[in-house]
Amino acid sequence: MSSGDNAVRELIYRSCRCLDTHDFDGYIALCAPAFRYRIVVYSPELRKEMIWLNHDRDGLAALLAAVPRHLARLGSLQRNATVYAIERDGNGGPARAVSAFSVFDIDNEGRPSVFAVGHYHDAVDEGGARPLLVARDVRLASRDLGIGSHVPI
Amino acid sequence: MPSRSAATWEAPPPLPDGHYVSGRVYRDERMFAEERERIFKKVWHFVCHESEVAEAFDFRTVERADTPLIVVRGGDGRVRAFVNVCSHRGARVAMEPGGNARSFTCFYHHWTYDTEGACVSMPRPEGYRGTPVRKENMGLREVRTEVKWGFVFVNLDDDCAPLDRFLDGALDIFDRVLPDADLEVFHYHRAEIDANWKAYQETIVDLYHEFMHVILRDTQMPAASMDDREMRTYANGHVTIAGLKADYEKYEGWRRRDHSTCLPGLDPDDARFAPLFPAQTFIARGTVMRVDTVQPITPHKCLIESRGLGLKGESPEDRAMRIDHHNEYWGPFGRNVTEDAFAAEGCELSFGKGAAPHGIIARDEDGRGQCDSGLRGFWAEWSRRMGRPASHPTND
Ligand code: FES
Ligand SMILES: [Fe+2]
Repeated sequence: MSSGDNAVRELIYRSCRCLDTHDFDGYIALCAPAFRYRIVVYSPELRKEMIWLNHDRDGLAALLAAVPRHLARLGSLQRNATVYAIERDGNGGPARAVSAFSVFDIDNEGRPSVFAVGHYHDAVDEGGARPLLVARDVRLASRDLGIGSHVPI
Repeated sequence: MPSRSAATWEAPPPLPDGHYVSGRVYRDERMFAEERERIFKKVWHFVCHESEVAEAFDFRTVERADTPLIVVRGGDGRVRAFVNVCSHRGARVAMEPGGNARSFTCFYHHWTYDTEGACVSMPRPEGYRGTPVRKENMGLREVRTEVKWGFVFVNLDDDCAPLDRFLDGALDIFDRVLPDADLEVFHYHRAEIDANWKAYQETIVDLYHEFMHVILRDTQMPAASMDDREMRTYANGHVTIAGLKADYEKYEGWRRRDHSTCLPGLDPDDARFAPLFPAQTFIARGTVMRVDTVQPITPHKCLIESRGLGLKGESPEDRAMRIDHHNEYWGPFGRNVTEDAFAAEGCELSFGKGAAPHGIIARDEDGRGQCDSGLRGFWAEWSRRMGRPASHPTND
């Protein structure tokens, strides 16, 4: 396990923690200027892939900044991720990391339920002083999210 | 007198019948069962769009009035619907949400049905010698099906009036969009929420709750005069809302919608709604359409199905734009729908256990502004079909 791998892992876990705690500035600071965020879901009904969210860094920053203005779901979402694999092409391209995640919905009374399950497919730029996310595809395995969420996964 | 006693809280509001709703309609088990028989088994239901069964032998499985259905395009190009229940011993026939199949073989004893509903084979039929059980009379139950402007509707009542009579022209509100546009579904999601189905459907008809949504406060309420709005009610409880406008760029991070990419007959800032009775809603916002249905599960749970539609064959750039516009408002991460679901669940917290004796639907703005005439139209039809006035549905 290289120190590079550790740094990528730490980046991914930190991104979860930032969204859990609504530290949205902290989340955006983990993203490179060219960052692209998508939520991708396969629909067996349509037999097609769907895009449920698609933003560049600025678009995501605007979306997150507006969250406190909105009528919010109660309680909190808590992300739990495990980095499965980190791969590099050997030519200086971004590292590719695949992580499994589950998101728990903790309601106002503290009752937990599963909100969503899926995988992060991340591209990570390791060229700078610290690794930065250049792309995140959130691939949801679960498709019924109840009332949904203003905060992305 | 700033607060109220138990007596004034429980007493019917001093309003005419039809201007308030009893809280019982959201929780009573008997009424819930009656709704299935008197409403959901009698009305036309939108089940899917033709683009979901575009090719011969494409099928979708859905459920209406607790009845599982297969919607399938036959080899002859016609879309038909069947109850998705095996004639033999009642097993579900098609299990997948969608697919392409020239025939459906029941997993249990392998009776096989074609896409026109005929039972075409059963293993070892000689065992039924001397009985009337023959594949010739063991087909699937077919359900009344009509396709209007690409939207597939079914009715579980074999004796129902035709779809157009049921719609009463309510979908004409979309002008050229439905007749002229070749639409295609690009988004589908289901969401089970903890609310009575009517509480969610009411969020669509209730314009007064615009204040709840940041995006409507920013983009819709200031964009046009309240007097330009037109809420209409139709026979059979349908409602339409026209004259809504939205300046999308007024919400931080959103851009103006472009004229060239609008759906036919719409301006980019146009918003039109057609909540059809009992719980199916067509919405167009300039560039994109959404169609929702709500299915009752229990008095306290319902299933929302939501579709987003764009133009078939459009460029990848236009499709991506339409998906973005859809997702700004709608979908599980949209700024609007999650708040409506929250509202329905918030009402369930009080109606669900009887803590709220009544709901008031008495705003009268002459079908403009934030008038409750649509809600009154919905409840009038509910009352008519149920044989119970929603204001006092029980004698006790
Ligand atoms: S129940 Fe379907 S073949 Fe027996
Ligand atoms: Fe709403």
